[in-house]
Amino acid sequence: MEFLQPATWEEALEARAASRDAVPIAGGTDVMVGINFGRLRPALLLDLTRVPELQQWGTDDGAVRLGAGVPYARVITELGDRLPGLAMAARTIGSPQIRNRGTVGGNLATASPAGDAHPALLAAGAEVEVASVRGTRRIPVADFYRGVKRSALADDELVAAVRIPPRTGPQQYSKIGTRNAMVIAVAAFGLALHPDRRAVGTGIGSAAPTPRRAPAAEEFLAGELDGLWESRAELPPATAARFGELVAGAAAPIDDVRGTARYRVHALSVMARRTLTWAWADYRKGDPACA
Amino acid sequence: MRLTCTVNGDRHEVDDVWEGESLLYVLRERMGLPGSKNACEQGECGSCTVYLDGVPVCACLVAAGQAQGREVGTVEGLAGPGELHPVQEAFLEAGAVQCGFCTPGLLVATDDLVRRSRAEGRRPADAEIREALAGNLCRCTGYEKILDAVRLAADRMAGEAR
Amino acid sequence: MTRAPERSRPAPPTPSPAQAVGRPLDRVDGPAKTAGLARYTADHHVPDLAHAALVHATVARGRITGLDTADAEAVGGVLAVLTHHNAPRMTPPAPVSALDLSTLAPGTTVDYLNTDRVHWNGQPVAVVVADSPDTARQAARLVRVTYEVEPAVTDFAAAQDDAVPLRGTLLVLGEERTGDAERALATAPVVVDHRYTTPAQSHHAMEPHATVAVWNGDRLTVHEGSQDVDWARRHLARRFGVPLAGVRVLSPHVGGGFGGKAPVWAGTVLTVLAARATGRAVRMVLSREDVIRTVGGRTPTVQRVALGAQRDGTLTALLHTGVSQVGRVGGTPEPVGSQSRHLYAAPHIWIRHSTTTLDVLPTAHMRAPGEAVGTFALESAVDELAVALGMDPVELRMRNEPDRDPLDGKRFSRRDLRAAYARGAERFGWAERTPSPRSMRDGHWLVGRGVATAFHLPVRLPADVTVRLRADGTVLVRCAFHEIGVGAATAQTQVAADALGVPVEAVTVEHGDTELPVGPQAGGSGQTASVATALLEACEELKRSVLALARRSPSSPLRGRRLSELRAGRGGLYRADAPDRGETYGVILTRAGRAEIEVRTAAGTRLGRTLQQARAAAGWFRDRRRWVRAVTGAHFCEVRVDEHTGEVRVSRWLGVFDVGRVVNPKTATSQLRGGIVMGIGAALSEETLVDPRTGRTVNPGLAEYHVPVQADLPRIEVDYLDEPDPTTPLGLLGVGEVGITGVAAAVANAVHHATGVRVRDLPVTLDRLL
Repeated sequence: MEFLQPATWEEALEARAASRDAVPIAGGTDVMVGINFGRLRPALLLDLTRVPELQQWGTDDGAVRLGAGVPYARVITELGDRLPGLAMAARTIGSPQIRNRGTVGGNLATASPAGDAHPALLAAGAEVEVASVRGTRRIPVADFYRGVKRSALADDELVAAVRIPPRTGPQQYSKIGTRNAMVIAVAAFGLALHPDRRAVGTGIGSAAPTPRRAPAAEEFLAGELDGLWESRAELPPATAARFGELVAGAAAPIDDVRGTARYRVHALSVMARRTLTWAWADYRKGDPACA
Repeated sequence: MRLTCTVNGDRHEVDDVWEGESLLYVLRERMGLPGSKNACEQGECGSCTVYLDGVPVCACLVAAGQAQGREVGTVEGLAGPGELHPVQEAFLEAGAVQCGFCTPGLLVATDDLVRRSRAEGRRPADAEIREALAGNLCRCTGYEKILDAVRLAADRMAGEAR
Repeated sequence: MTRAPERSRPAPPTPSPAQAVGRPLDRVDGPAKTAGLARYTADHHVPDLAHAALVHATVARGRITGLDTADAEAVGGVLAVLTHHNAPRMTPPAPVSALDLSTLAPGTTVDYLNTDRVHWNGQPVAVVVADSPDTARQAARLVRVTYEVEPAVTDFAAAQDDAVPLRGTLLVLGEERTGDAERALATAPVVVDHRYTTPAQSHHAMEPHATVAVWNGDRLTVHEGSQDVDWARRHLARRFGVPLAGVRVLSPHVGGGFGGKAPVWAGTVLTVLAARATGRAVRMVLSREDVIRTVGGRTPTVQRVALGAQRDGTLTALLHTGVSQVGRVGGTPEPVGSQSRHLYAAPHIWIRHSTTTLDVLPTAHMRAPGEAVGTFALESAVDELAVALGMDPVELRMRNEPDRDPLDGKRFSRRDLRAAYARGAERFGWAERTPSPRSMRDGHWLVGRGVATAFHLPVRLPADVTVRLRADGTVLVRCAFHEIGVGAATAQTQVAADALGVPVEAVTVEHGDTELPVGPQAGGSGQTASVATALLEACEELKRSVLALARRSPSSPLRGRRLSELRAGRGGLYRADAPDRGETYGVILTRAGRAEIEVRTAAGTRLGRTLQQARAAAGWFRDRRRWVRAVTGAHFCEVRVDEHTGEVRVSRWLGVFDVGRVVNPKTATSQLRGGIVMGIGAALSEETLVDPRTGRTVNPGLAEYHVPVQADLPRIEVDYLDEPDPTTPLGLLGVGEVGITGVAAAVANAVHHATGVRVRDLPVTLDRLL
């Protein structure tokens, strides 16, 4: 096994291009498990932790450009105000030790349907910035997921960053599991209200082969909120309930050891209704920075 | 490959490290520091928690090469030789140790929690302790005395700071 | 409140502040463990060490038809790939005999690598030895095995119909009855009759099983995390055909056991075999997956509990039957009706245990085998009866609290469950509970409170001890008992210090090494009391010897005195009637020209040991005929259940126990609390999932087998009565297992109170509450 430690992004991309079966590693929370258990024996381990660009975040063209190597712990402490939905999702991930190492870039590259960051990224309308020696391209996150643990990433590409519009309204994230921590989601849901463009964002986790949005629910709620954005009036409970139903309707879950499909659908409707209720209450209060 | 890093303040250089090896393996098998324990190999139990550049991580999930040139801190380095660190004393006195296998990782995680909260001039709240130590599984104690130990350590270390 | 049996010995006096027993002393192994210096098996380095890894069968039953080891052997650093074609022959395990309990040692009867037969999905079929653990593991994945697959029974749910009732033996609980329970049930005014199930569970001690084996000719040294080093030694000597005296097993620190490290499993035998075959010292550290594939866990159970009662709550009939599982090649059934023989004063009782045999990894005892899962069914049913009667569940239990054992009228050595419930109800605020389900809530959280009784029968085992007293006043206690986390060495330090009247700092205890006198297994909640019994005897003998030395000197103030007139204290012997008259051990030994003096219980000879075992066994049977020696407790639980998602959070807990004298509150309360938390895991999340089609465990790791984490738990309050048992030395009984019993029922009862939903199948998962 070879171990390459590029010091620059260009070197990293060249190494990736030169060895298509190289396995990139950042926080190691997936890759090292495979190696430890003898399941993974890559010819080349491409360590991305020394690439300075990946460890940074900044604002670019109105979006937060989050380097693929920024650990969850920093998302929580440094970006809770701009990206509250993602920060909430990050808080539910693993343990402090895992959050100190695991990255949003890694979550994307693995593309597990249960990845905790995905619902928040979907709700916020993020774009994934991927790069290779051929150049850089941006992929809307909803188009990034292609199947169970499959993504739009080509075999010479690396995730460079994820570009996330900073919040313009309340965001919420909810996850159900068998424990209070250290748990893979039975189901998860992310919600973002975008008052600036009178729109609603949603993201569903662990309830379909890929993370996915609930477009019908988004459309329905945006319609219901027409007029309410200005008045900040109370949201009729029936609206929240219908929103929950539509979110649940977008899911395509399976039965597995963590929960039944029926339970997942039900849980999604509850989480969608609750997160909407919380988010709208925040909005009515003048939407204080919540995270 | 050759790996050079600082562990508990001492510079270590080891040769013939296999590229896929974990930092935990290097510490335990190549550097003679078996204090950090191997209990799940997948970041689920926290028994191998060490400091990497001052941040607690699961050593089983750090590839050896990723530690190149970094500073590593393990349970063996919390106190000087023959001494116990206030966190170690607190675990002993509170009865937070039973079989002892989860203890080294818990001590590092606790030290980090207590240090961070002390830097902010406060003691960790119970909910914060439970959250901060959620990644350190213990099958013996039922956790309560671990909380007692963290509170005790926080009190003692706050006293030291004055 | 305590009913002492007639003709009992006087209760030992309450400890004075000077006494060590009863004080919350720090653990003697604490400094080493907190400094990271305590060495567990996997931490041992020996020269020329090689490493081994297992290859597991992927079919449940059949015959190995082909083994392709070429790719594995080609990996650089691989020393050997051992299969049934080339592994050295071993002697098969001895048949089980009640006369030699060490015949219970092997976890399975399989003759590993000496047979082409496969008996379960996961059985080791090859071992790779290499110069690094990773190389061994990687090469193990390259071994290709083909099988001739035979039909296998792997679905517990489907196999229950073939269950066979157990016949009771010395080692196994069978059927027990008094009166005619079925008939009484048929005529009872109020009846509950339900089926309960519990899933397979795994010990998941934090330390995975590991072995280091070093051969030197026919002498074998083994480092092994073990709950029974004597079993391990005897089993290995037999399997490898070498003299027992040449086999040494060392186990000074064990990273948790819970029953999973009492038997000798494949990993141990195969590490020793690998060392034999390669001529190298070999270490094998099992991955957690290896552990789950080769170390038996708790059986799943199906139970029926039927209760008949008068309208005032008086029980008329109690029926408890259960099916547990064993493997075709070994395993231990769980006597799920154990507690049901003793807990309630029903005139008609019928208990029956059955087993069904599957082609799966043999089951093994896990913390409180029988009672841990049996109390779930019984104590749930009692709660259901309380609901049916419209009666408070504590009151119902107290109405049926027996004065004597309900089955045969034996006396309880001590039993004060009434006091435990009274104290618990007071502390927990039980009276504030409103009886109707769904009557307490906090926002969208439904709040529920439940109770259940804890019950366990600690065992008593023989122990050999030596005690050495030195002229400098220090004491060395030696006994091959086991420190699996319970605080065993600390407890014996306290016992020895009091018995000899020396400070605890003067006492050193050696344990966990077969070179020491044979100790008891760390099992059945019996180790501490068993060793203490022998240790107290040895200390008496030692004091007699010291007094004999003193009496030889004309100048000794002890001259002419008998031991019964003296008290041990201040590092010596002093007259009870004149506490200033006496002398220190140091003075006595020095004057006699002795550097030290040592006594040993029983004898190091085989005859001495046989006699001692026979005496201990006779005493145990005599005691068992005379009285029921049990520990009990009352669990009070509060849960919060999310009305809409079914998420359950335990929000309060109090357990009040009647466990006899507590040697060390610091370690004992953690034992009880750890049991409660393991029980909460069993109630809400723990389940070893076996694919019923293939017999393969699909969650062999901590990512999918969810043990409780800190963030799941409220403050777990533990209290105990601390009244000595009048029939045992020092009044000790045993605390290791009772904590887990009753817990799952308390949770399920609280969940029912919160939601109105009765869950009779563990674990209580979210989807079951909607």
